[in-house]
Amino acid sequence: MNVARWVGALAAMIIMPLVLPSFVVVVLTEIAIVALFATAFNLLMGYGGMVSFGHAAYFALGAYAAALVVKRGELPMLLGLAAAPVLAAVGALLFGFFIVRLTHTYFAMLSLAFAQIVFTVVFKWTALTGGDNGILNVWPPLWLKSPRAYCYFTLAVAGSAIVAIHAIVNSPFGYALKAIRDNPRRARFIGVNVRRHQLIAFVLSGAFSGLAGGLFAFFNGSVFPDFAFLNKSFEPLVVALLGGVQSFFGPLAGAFGFKILETVIARQWPMYWPLFLGSVVIVVIILLPQGFVGLVERRRWRSRATGR
Amino acid sequence: MDLVTSVFPWITNGPLIAVQVMSGLSVAMFLFLVSVGMSLIFGVTRIVNLAHGAFYMVGAYLMVTLVEVLPEHMLSFWIALLVAPLGVAALGGLVEIGLLRRIYHRDPLMQLILTFGLILVIGTLVLLVWGPDNKSVARPDALAGSVRIFGQPFPSYYLLVLALAPVVAIGLWLIFYRTRWGTLIRAATVDRDMLGALGVNVAALYTQVFVFGSWLAGVGGALSAPTVAVALGMDGDVLTTAFVVVVIGGLGSFAGSFISALLVGQLQSFGILIFPAISIVLLFAIMAVVLIVRPWGLLGHPEE
Repeated sequence: MNVARWVGALAAMIIMPLVLPSFVVVVLTEIAIVALFATAFNLLMGYGGMVSFGHAAYFALGAYAAALVVKRGELPMLLGLAAAPVLAAVGALLFGFFIVRLTHTYFAMLSLAFAQIVFTVVFKWTALTGGDNGILNVWPPLWLKSPRAYCYFTLAVAGSAIVAIHAIVNSPFGYALKAIRDNPRRARFIGVNVRRHQLIAFVLSGAFSGLAGGLFAFFNGSVFPDFAFLNKSFEPLVVALLGGVQSFFGPLAGAFGFKILETVIARQWPMYWPLFLGSVVIVVIILLPQGFVGLVERRRWRSRATGR
Repeated sequence: MDLVTSVFPWITNGPLIAVQVMSGLSVAMFLFLVSVGMSLIFGVTRIVNLAHGAFYMVGAYLMVTLVEVLPEHMLSFWIALLVAPLGVAALGGLVEIGLLRRIYHRDPLMQLILTFGLILVIGTLVLLVWGPDNKSVARPDALAGSVRIFGQPFPSYYLLVLALAPVVAIGLWLIFYRTRWGTLIRAATVDRDMLGALGVNVAALYTQVFVFGSWLAGVGGALSAPTVAVALGMDGDVLTTAFVVVVIGGLGSFAGSFISALLVGQLQSFGILIFPAISIVLLFAIMAVVLIVRPWGLLGHPEE
């Protein structure tokens, strides 16, 4: 990604909310949040080779942290948003300590188990979380109340976070992580502390997921136990998969595709949405292992190869 | 002791405990039917079939339809109980041949995600076919009432479940340890490539095992239909519990599933008495401890 593209992306982010109708602006806000969630998830999956089946746990921890700080603590919204990644990171540290000890299938299963625990605690601890009724009226302050203002705010926060994740994967730490993904034994051999790197990646990924959760809490105006449920854990997975996990911007593209499809299909035929989502996932796995971005990149690579 | 009795007033109530143990055993039976199929499929194909709970649900819904459709007769309940699992087995065959066969060589995580996608697809199809309302299946007349055990009422249908448990366990044991097919399955769990090299048609074995595992899930679903509200969310509940059973027992271990199902059955049965609010957390906490201390489960084998 060269400078011109970054500038282009920035310009698009500034112009789009101005010119688009407010309904689309709302969708755009949600896309930014999903993109952050999926990119944070892909920090683990694409770069660390660790697939979490329970990332909703950290999204929910972030959302609830934000909601609780604002509603129960009666503190300003920015403090609530700041609390989101913190609580999510604490949760990710606590759970990740155990999860990174396992590999592959078992890693996925333990992460799922912890997410189920988070879901149950949120669901049952009615005194604090409101249980099934959730926490309502978690709105941002007046200056962020309009969809357009909140869209800019979300684009700025999520955008900076994605830039930060980009910096992380391109840092020495990111390279060590990729080395671990490709060959953990060899990485350990050359002196990389495998588990510590994995745990740090897990905590970072959890914290950014929590930030996405916090942004979503104020976007949605309420938080519910569903945020920690299996279906939510599936979301970043599908988004990353759609976009392609091999590329940093895959999840970003996936978020656009996912949300646009959801807006069109789930609005028109809500009953068919899971059917559609499931079928898309199955088709992508069987026919397009690299995701849609992978498809585009392969085409480009091919045309470049034949051009020479 | 005073403290114990004040916290758990039922602790001195022998009959209640006995009934609780028995209901735990019948829960264990359902869990065993589902988890042994899941474990078997994993052992041979190395795929953790997350859609296994959905298969169970389809078994229960097929039971609903069959009991409705079949003419009223003494035997129709039992015929439905035989036919419904066959439908699930056919579904399993379709899934294996149409989808899973194409991805055996792929990353295990892609396989997990694909079976997760299946949950969504099957869930929606069930919603479209049977609608959003909960269904129920009447118990057969002979088993509709309840019997008294130590003075406590106990539904007679559960006695059937309890009586079937040893039949199923012994039947499976005979299949695994006393037939050529069972020997092939056990061999495939240990070394699939070697089995293929020895001239066994491994692809066909995969399909058979997947169909058989799905059939077991169908039996569980059909058998449980008269004991629960047949509802859309049941696949998730069944999956998570079966998943815990399989993980605690050890993926791919037949005996592990059996012992673990017994454990979890009792845990669920008594968990409701002891910690009503957090019995499910207890379940997952135990699974987490097992995964941390012995990731391959009580009777499983470490990942190579």
